Amino acid sequence: MLPPFELLEPHSLDQALKMLATSESVPLAGGTNLLPDLRARGEAGGRFISLAALDQLHGIEHSDSRVLMGARTTLSDILHDPLMPTAAPSLVSMAKVFAGSMVRNAATVAGNICYGSPSADVVPPLLSLDAELTLASAAGERTLSLNDFLLDYKKTARRPDELLISVAWAPPTTATANLFYKLGRRRGDAITVVGVAVTITIENGNCTKARIALGSVAPTVFRAQEAEEALVGGPLTATTIGTAAQAAAQASRPIDDIRASADYRRHAVHMLVRRLLTEAWQTAGSQHD
Amino acid sequence: MTDKETQMITEKRVDIQVNGQACEITVPAWRTLLEVLRELGHKEVKCGCEKGDCGACAVLLDGKVVDSCLTLAWNAAGRSVTTVQGLGGPDNAHPLQTAFIEHGSAQCGYCTPGMIMAAKALLDDIPEPSLKDIKRGLSGNLCRCTGYTRIFSAIQAAAETLRQQETTS
Amino acid sequence: MNRIESPAAGTANLQLRQVGKPLVRTDSPTKVYGTAVYAGDLTMPGMLCAAVLHSDRASALLRHVDTSRAEALAGVHCVLTAADLPPSQGVMTDMPGQTGGLTKNTKQPILAKDRVRFCGEPIALVAAENAAIAEQALRLIDIEYEDLDGIYDPFDALAPGAPIIFGDDNVVASYKVRKGDIEKGFAEADFIVENTFTTQYQEQAFLEPEAALAWVDEHEVLNIRSSTQVVEHYRAVADAIGLPHNRVRLRAEFVGGGFGGKEVMTIEVWLALLALASRRPVQLVQPRERSFLSHGPRHPFTMTHRTGVSGDGKITALQIKLTSDAGAYAKLSPYILLYATVGATGPYRVDNLHIDSVSAATNNLPACAFRGFGTMQANLACEGQMEEIAKLLGMDSMEVRRRNFIHTGDANVTGQIIRSAVWSDQCATQALATLGERPTDTQTTRIGHGVACYQQSYGRIRWMKDSSEAWVGVEMDGTVIVRSAVTDIGAGQSSALAQITGEILGVPMDQVVVYFGDGAVTPLAGTSTASRALYMSGNATKMAASQVRKNLLSCVAGYFGVKIEQLDMCDSQVFIIDDPQRSIALKDCVKLCAAEGVHRHNLAIFRAPTSEGIDPETGQGEVFPDFTYGAHAAQVAVDIETGEVKVLKSIGAHDVGQAINLRAVEGQVEGSALMGQGFALCEELILKQGRLQTGSLSEYLIPTSEDVPEIKAIVLESRSGLGPFGAKGIGEPVYAPVAASIANAVADAIGVHIFELPITPEKVIKALREKESTK
Ligand SMILES: Cc1cc2nc3c(=O)[nH]c(=O)nc-3n(C[C@H](O)[C@H](O)[C@H](O)COP(=O)(O)OP(=O)(O)OC[C@H]3O[C@@H](n4cnc5c(N)ncnc54)[C@H](O)[C@@H]3O)c2cc1C
Ligand code: FES
Ligand code: FES
Repeated sequence: MLPPFELLEPHSLDQALKMLATSESVPLAGGTNLLPDLRARGEAGGRFISLAALDQLHGIEHSDSRVLMGARTTLSDILHDPLMPTAAPSLVSMAKVFAGSMVRNAATVAGNICYGSPSADVVPPLLSLDAELTLASAAGERTLSLNDFLLDYKKTARRPDELLISVAWAPPTTATANLFYKLGRRRGDAITVVGVAVTITIENGNCTKARIALGSVAPTVFRAQEAEEALVGGPLTATTIGTAAQAAAQASRPIDDIRASADYRRHAVHMLVRRLLTEAWQTAGSQHD
Repeated sequence: MTDKETQMITEKRVDIQVNGQACEITVPAWRTLLEVLRELGHKEVKCGCEKGDCGACAVLLDGKVVDSCLTLAWNAAGRSVTTVQGLGGPDNAHPLQTAFIEHGSAQCGYCTPGMIMAAKALLDDIPEPSLKDIKRGLSGNLCRCTGYTRIFSAIQAAAETLRQQETTS
Repeated sequence: MNRIESPAAGTANLQLRQVGKPLVRTDSPTKVYGTAVYAGDLTMPGMLCAAVLHSDRASALLRHVDTSRAEALAGVHCVLTAADLPPSQGVMTDMPGQTGGLTKNTKQPILAKDRVRFCGEPIALVAAENAAIAEQALRLIDIEYEDLDGIYDPFDALAPGAPIIFGDDNVVASYKVRKGDIEKGFAEADFIVENTFTTQYQEQAFLEPEAALAWVDEHEVLNIRSSTQVVEHYRAVADAIGLPHNRVRLRAEFVGGGFGGKEVMTIEVWLALLALASRRPVQLVQPRERSFLSHGPRHPFTMTHRTGVSGDGKITALQIKLTSDAGAYAKLSPYILLYATVGATGPYRVDNLHIDSVSAATNNLPACAFRGFGTMQANLACEGQMEEIAKLLGMDSMEVRRRNFIHTGDANVTGQIIRSAVWSDQCATQALATLGERPTDTQTTRIGHGVACYQQSYGRIRWMKDSSEAWVGVEMDGTVIVRSAVTDIGAGQSSALAQITGEILGVPMDQVVVYFGDGAVTPLAGTSTASRALYMSGNATKMAASQVRKNLLSCVAGYFGVKIEQLDMCDSQVFIIDDPQRSIALKDCVKLCAAEGVHRHNLAIFRAPTSEGIDPETGQGEVFPDFTYGAHAAQVAVDIETGEVKVLKSIGAHDVGQAINLRAVEGQVEGSALMGQGFALCEELILKQGRLQTGSLSEYLIPTSEDVPEIKAIVLESRSGLGPFGAKGIGEPVYAPVAASIANAVADAIGVHIFELPITPEKVIKALREKESTK
């Protein structure tokens, strides 16, 4: 049972932004984070702005240089988009192991990002693709990188009057491998114990760009930048991969919780980063052989 | 924004088609579709957790499967809902229902209404699902009794029946 | 009432036409069409909604409970606390439904008074116009606690000087088994293997949380319709609130899963009190989080085996110590400990044996019945130990098992002679063979095969003096009715009675109507627990149906001028076996009986074998009617980098005696394969200072569709059981070996045994690291 709350139902983005600007309120997208939270809290109060009718936030556009995904894109939309397997392979792998079908039909990309959870599965793939976010308020729009958006545990750069309206990134080239792995305590519908996304570009046998994004091992999803740096500039060898994996584990700041200990999480980061990098090197590297 | 505009609208009339039948109910914003459906007498929609963990409350909303416990009734306004009873009954059983009966896919039966709706959505989406597709399609529907295997086999059988119906019609 | 001495009477010339076949269960259509009614689906005019306030402290004095603000809330009809309860001040939580003697007298307060002993203990009940008001009222109840030290570990509870939670010494129960000469046995041993195994709390996680509806009717009878495994709780409800037994009527609806969690009384007594206080119908549907607090999970056990073995793998002596955490109240802990004690040597014969078992009270959640009932925990240790012995001896573990298997005619732990078939070897061999070839290891995965056997009782403890009644009758139009108060908890309990009756009276099972689960109007059947429902009610139903058959056939025999033995019944016809053209429709046969004043119905009682208990010093005596034997085998792939375990194949092979409904039997095996996998790998109620950390289905993880391996059920039939047609109980037995087989498979894969369940990725990594460092 949900406690009483107020729900505003704007019909346009402008109206929604006006409401956000003038009344203390919280956007409600798929509700798959907010409604369980409300139920657990059990206390009446709060004002929500339903984003259900805002058509402007729907849709995925693909061009050669850019993928633009509306904020209300659901996890199911990602799975159903025919171009997504090349536009963001890691995002598709992620969507396949995200919750169950019902939640996938409701859960939105914006909700996942804006909730700011360290275990948000949408974030590592997008972070590894250098995604940019467009936020809108009654005062105008701004764009910032997803990396800059994530501040701390359930803390983001979103101002209370802003809505996330879209997410954009450059689709990986054929020379790029983009992988994701989710480790959970069971195979279906589980909160992530460790999530890893990597994006590796190999040109002329050398790694020219590396992104390693880690979920559930720090107060927020983050990029292991030292590990990334250890990879760029040469071919990926067992040694460089090992160094990077080690660096990623060291950069993690996990906690002990009911799902796993900090120690184990760090170990799993090490193993999974090594594994995904090895696989990335094999797939991206082979494009040139 | 004026005070009037932000004034709390506590209740709203919601029109929903449930299994083809027009229903109207006046509810506050915080009522879920699950509560409303059960209030309307649709007790076939079960409740196992009220927060998206079990799938017992799954129904089709405009053809898409949702957890009705995580759907606000207001958001279902003007849309159509299908429950397992809307899928078919003894006189017009849906192939999924026939297969669930024949394969012994229901034990305690509590997960069954939600399971069948998730299966329906899966077959609408992927008419020839692999075992992998089926497992993925049902991962939000918990069953504690069956070990799922007979649910999988029933879905495969129903898919086959539906395919045959397709080719003969 | 007729009493037939042998269940076989009247069915001598019966050929099986329905029994053993995979027929559609009678309860399937209604469940699949969504018309089946569960307790939470019921409504009544004027019905109130209830809510329960559970303590959020594990150990505290209740200084003050103030309900005045809640009572003042508009729409609240009543608020009850311990102060409002009748003087009995407790509800019986002993083995439910029993009619025999020797109860442990385990009363538990209905609502906490003065003191709370576990986090989740009920303190107050509310009935209000609707659920929202009831919830709001809960938040308006003011409680002043004074925290006390708590004990959260059974070993701490047993230590001298520990604060007392239960009795004089926190010992909820203890047993001793002394058999043979253990010193001599150890002296004869070539090796001694000692290991300690631990298991965790497991939550039943049935999909339907507790639900019930209660009201007082026009005859001043208190009615309760509930999701329960036991309609005989009407007696405990009546005793608790001071009503005569005949003024409480309990009906069980279709139960959305029980697994033991709806065995001991849960919410019925609360609703009874609210209905009496408000004089309105009151319904309670527990939200999932409170469901976790409303029944008892599986007991955590610590089990130490010290085994003496000869060089050829024969067990020469075995010393076992079992300790279970009962939690704050006894509930069924004494019985569960007894089951664990009897099951401690698994399906093996051990002549020199010491067992010391104890169940200790703590301020944790009171644990209670769960499929397997102590036996499966005990079996896990036993089967893990088999592997360790084999490893030490460098022998194949199946070979070690073979050298020690108990056989028909041998005495078990308590000296009871096993009379039915023991097909452990056949079952294990078939299960293992069905795993097939091992896939090859990869750089990062290791494949393992594991097997586990078991011995699990079915039927009640003998000194419960168990019985079950059933009524079978034929209507004038030839249709058949069965009346049995058996509860239908999802395994096809009512359908099985239709199938048995249909078999004997020659009518298709879907034309038999079974009225079940009504404590007032269907003959009492006992409980759907202890894998006894089919054994007991199946026998009673078979007896009643057989008597009806006899009566009908005797009329037809006279009509045709033949002997009863020359007749058979099939397709609602009675016919002469050698001349099938000469037949009479069942409905005409019924008319014949009616005209002659012969009973077309029968009420039968089936009694299980009884005994008077065990010797407290030696543990010797007859404890159970009989046992089921079988095995489970698993193939796993272990990721040695991340520690993840994936079960690839899961095969159960069991001697079920006689399958009544083959499909239902397979369904039990398949369901238990996944439930056991959950216990082995991912399920764990975590308590921190008594407070539940995993109290919802997003933290307590049961296996999903994505976790399903290839599952197969192999059904063997020795026809040697005590159930109808030689059936054995299977509901719990098929579950008993699963977790052990997976634990053994993991050990096989990584070369080191993990003694502590669940086997999380983390524990796998730890075990591998330790193995590495001891190299
Ligand atoms: C059973 C279950 C399983 C789940 N499994 C997973 C899983 O596997 N992986 C995972 O990562 N998560 C999982 N979740 C969590 C949740 O589904 C996701 O985080 C989801 O993406 C949230 O999206 P939503 O649209 O439902 O968000 P909401 O609940 O509607 O909102 C979440 C937050 O985002 C804000 N917000 C939403 N949209 C906007 C916007 N456009 N602009 C600004 N702020 C916005 C809201 O104000 C709120 O703070 C699960 C949840 C459930 C109930
Ligand atoms: S009740 Fe909706 S998912 Fe469990
Ligand atoms: S049949 Fe009981 S939960 Fe699925």
